[in-house]
Amino acid sequence: MSHSLYAWLAIVGLTAVTVITRSAFLVLGERFPLPERVQHALRYAPACALSALIAPEVLTAGGALVLDPASPKLAAGLVAVAVMVISRSMIVTMAVGMGIFTLLRLL
Amino acid sequence: MKRSALFGHEPAASVRRESFADGLRAVAPALFATGTWGLVTGVAMIKVGLSTAEALGMTLLVFAGSAQLAALPLIAAGAPLWVVWLAATVVNLRFVIFSAGLAPFFKRFSLARRLALGYVTSDIGFALFLSRFAGTPPEERGSTHQVWLFLGMAAGNWLAWQTMSILGILLGHAVPGEWGLDYAAILALIALTVPMINSRPALAGALAAAAVAVLGAGLPLRLGLVAAVVVGIAVAMGTELALERLGRAAR
Repeated sequence: MSHSLYAWLAIVGLTAVTVITRSAFLVLGERFPLPERVQHALRYAPACALSALIAPEVLTAGGALVLDPASPKLAAGLVAVAVMVISRSMIVTMAVGMGIFTLLRLL
Repeated sequence: MKRSALFGHEPAASVRRESFADGLRAVAPALFATGTWGLVTGVAMIKVGLSTAEALGMTLLVFAGSAQLAALPLIAAGAPLWVVWLAATVVNLRFVIFSAGLAPFFKRFSLARRLALGYVTSDIGFALFLSRFAGTPPEERGSTHQVWLFLGMAAGNWLAWQTMSILGILLGHAVPGEWGLDYAAILALIALTVPMINSRPALAGALAAAAVAVLGAGLPLRLGLVAAVVVGIAVAMGTELALERLGRAAR
């Protein structure tokens, strides 16, 4: 199989994966309706999923735990959380966070 | 508009237009994060050796940042196709959970439209939509306003993602890794997440999810991410129940 054919087959299959996973319960929902209790629980899914995406990025490096407060990613991440809690401004949070990240990285 | 409503005519076109615009406004603050992820993903596709045409095809068809980022090293290594597809499926499992949350809102649509609505669902779109409408009573779910607001959010998200991803593909070879672009995307995610943690159960769930994700960071196929979401939801629900009981005991 040529490299290009392989890449395109991968892409077509991945497109199917996107459609199937994202519309799974939209399509099956009537045959397998979810109880109200489960739907209530799903309210917490977004915050959990986003926290789970963020935490390894700031707390690990190459699969290992990094708890050094001087680590640029961890320090800037903690400051960003605090700035967001206080300011509720995404722009301010990003500016302060990137500033601290860059500063610590260059020191 | 008020008049026709008085006479019982739903002013459908203007409701659609206004709801779509509401959706665009609701998603706007998140688009910086989306765009940054798109740029990072676009650059990454070129860096692993996809041709410009393949990378453009991938972003325009697959339209799934984290699944694409998970699949890229496997494609670069020439892994069997089923492994590439399985890895992407596991990374995308969270969307199966999301689709269950969205199902009550879209059940009146045809199969083709439900597939299309599913296809344009994003992490951020889902999170913003459900945090806004999760409290709606079952009989009020799936209104024209809700559906067109969802479409507005999806349109803004799609445009920001594709524009920046294509920019990343075109700039691919010129962007140095030291810019820390990937970290800017993380900061943007932090800014999105903080306002969602608006109750003690949500805080407990988010902390538990973060802990499990860190512990499971070494697991293959980003299974740690899936475990983290499941544990996080369970902890949030447990906390909610415990707080209810404490509240009853105090009374």
